[in-house]
Amino acid sequence: MVLMSAARTRVINPRLGIYFGIFTSVLVALALVLMILEQLGVADGTLSVLMLFGSVMLYASIGLFAFTRDPMDYFAAGRRVPAFYTGLGLSMSSIGATGLLALTGALFFAGYDALCLSVGFVAGFVVMAVMVAPFLRKAGMFTLPSYFFNRFESRLMRLVSAAIVAVPMVLILSAEIRAAAFAGSFLLGASVEIMAAGMVFFLVAMLVAGGLRSLVWSGTGASIAALIALLVPVAIVAVFLTNMPVPQLSHGPVLRALGRSETAMAMSRDTADLLTFALAGESFQSVSQRFAMPNGSVGALAFPIVSLTVMAGIAAAPWLLPRITATPSVYETRKSLGWATVLTGIVLMTLASIAVFMRDYLFEIVTAAGRGQIPAWLQDLSAIELARIESTSGALSVSSFSFLRDGVILGLPLAGGMPSVMLYVVMAGIVAAGMAGAGGCVVALGNILAEDVVDGLSSEPAPDHVRLATARVTLILVAAIGGAFAILAPTDPLRLIIWALVLTASSVFPVLILSIWWKRINVYGAMAGMLSGFGVAALFMLVAEAGWLGLDSALAAIFGAPASVAAAMSVTVMTPLPGRDALDLVSDMRIPNGETVLDREMRLQRQRLRQRGGLA
Amino acid sequence: MIEWKERKAYWFHTKWQMAASLVPFLVVMLVLPFYADKLNSNKFLGFPLGYLLVLHGIILIGAVTVAGFINQQDAIDHWHGAHED
Repeated sequence: MVLMSAARTRVINPRLGIYFGIFTSVLVALALVLMILEQLGVADGTLSVLMLFGSVMLYASIGLFAFTRDPMDYFAAGRRVPAFYTGLGLSMSSIGATGLLALTGALFFAGYDALCLSVGFVAGFVVMAVMVAPFLRKAGMFTLPSYFFNRFESRLMRLVSAAIVAVPMVLILSAEIRAAAFAGSFLLGASVEIMAAGMVFFLVAMLVAGGLRSLVWSGTGASIAALIALLVPVAIVAVFLTNMPVPQLSHGPVLRALGRSETAMAMSRDTADLLTFALAGESFQSVSQRFAMPNGSVGALAFPIVSLTVMAGIAAAPWLLPRITATPSVYETRKSLGWATVLTGIVLMTLASIAVFMRDYLFEIVTAAGRGQIPAWLQDLSAIELARIESTSGALSVSSFSFLRDGVILGLPLAGGMPSVMLYVVMAGIVAAGMAGAGGCVVALGNILAEDVVDGLSSEPAPDHVRLATARVTLILVAAIGGAFAILAPTDPLRLIIWALVLTASSVFPVLILSIWWKRINVYGAMAGMLSGFGVAALFMLVAEAGWLGLDSALAAIFGAPASVAAAMSVTVMTPLPGRDALDLVSDMRIPNGETVLDREMRLQRQRLRQRGGLA
Repeated sequence: MIEWKERKAYWFHTKWQMAASLVPFLVVMLVLPFYADKLNSNKFLGFPLGYLLVLHGIILIGAVTVAGFINQQDAIDHWHGAHED
């Protein structure tokens, strides 16, 4: 088996499985103890606080224990993270709290149409595996702007690319903090703003000691917690509804029954215009669209455009790509993307099954089985303001109820009649996914600020202790900026994620692909491609958001990406060939064997410094 | 270590492998949604077929594509002596 083979691994800790087995046991034990305490009559407020702090303290402890003074550990986790752990981190960081909350809600309201995002996520990892990751791993640079600096031999390119990638990364960070704070606010009974500030504090505590090393190991813990919180409740509900604990594969008959109910209720069969993109926003709304019917809210052309945009955004994501430099080899990098594809697929199928089950519970109220009675779970959901009962007079219909898009996933444990602690487990899992997603952004952007902006401006490399001190300060700064954005400029997290993917797909993706697959591209072409793609996409988004185009801003990459490719190629062919060193780097990174390019440069640099010291 | 004269052949082989891996996947990914509505009139495992293929099908094809790519690219690496030690 390709994915299971680990023949060519180096210096991997053989006890990792044991450590994370113990971690998982502690997490499960925490949930079970809280369930016992619930039966003993302990107050709900105490249980939810224990669930939140118990789990978050575990991730923070792992992050603190990963303290390091070695730059290779801080920036690349020592290049000894096995494929599975890298794949798990990539998968949960890409989906994050926003994916769990908003994608489930979007599937609940729009059904099939929301799959345009799911398809893009999976395709993004496939493209990353084949076209991007193995080559960047061989290059070994800690950040994407560092790679562009080496590939194009230009300090200006380093600064320009750092400025451009920072924009989508701040959007992602803000979205993840806000989504996780939304789930956490129910656990703590505090406002979203206070929770966002708390998230920033815990993110810093989790990551500042070891940078990428802390992120990888605490992020693995957080990802395991998020997976448990996602998979266990829906498996229990699947047993109730389908007699099978595999909701991903068994929700078909429930979906078929939903289709019959939708026909009986005469739900709309209207199809949207070709370029319409109108997935659910974050406000309260009712179900009005058939689940399996395509193109009710996403047009037939908008569907593949959005899928391609998400694919390109994920494949070139500067907040995900630094993780692949932590694998021990190019072969392990390829395997890690295999794991990322499989794990992301499982999560996405699970989210779809949650949406189907929640629709089934809702339809049960308005069809013969539960006509006229509002069940306790919906009243509970209404009490915590995740659902509204719009009208109880006359015959109940689906429009008698409205739901918050981001509250749908939280409704499942209540609808399934599970203990309150199970709801807290789901909420804590979403906070964990947010920590994994936001953590990836904080470390990647912090390292870009430190390595490419602060240290990158000087011609001589800074001493190790200065580099690490700078990176720790910028990490704290980035976390604070992300928190400030989440608090001061509250925006729909799903919208922020889509904007970030549009900007990445329009500016970074074309130049990154050309830099690997087209030797001829030079710094002028790369700079023109990146700036024009970003500019065109940003302009389109501004105009679309102002309502002047009649198109949604999610479609901006359809203009941004071609503009970037056209500018990069035309400017390149009109300007001189790239330098000898740049061509050597491309040749080197295309071949898996031999020493990692950056490691060789660092080794030679140390040798030169030693020789200089000896001569002195 | 790969010899210089092998590099060109290795990269040619790698480019074809990239195309062979991605083109079928991207074609399915882009074309399938246009036929989802028609396919939905058929059922498989209780799922409307269009929905099943766009959700489960693309994930399955994606996973198989990456697994096949890892296997084939590794074979190419070994054939040209470009594999890691």
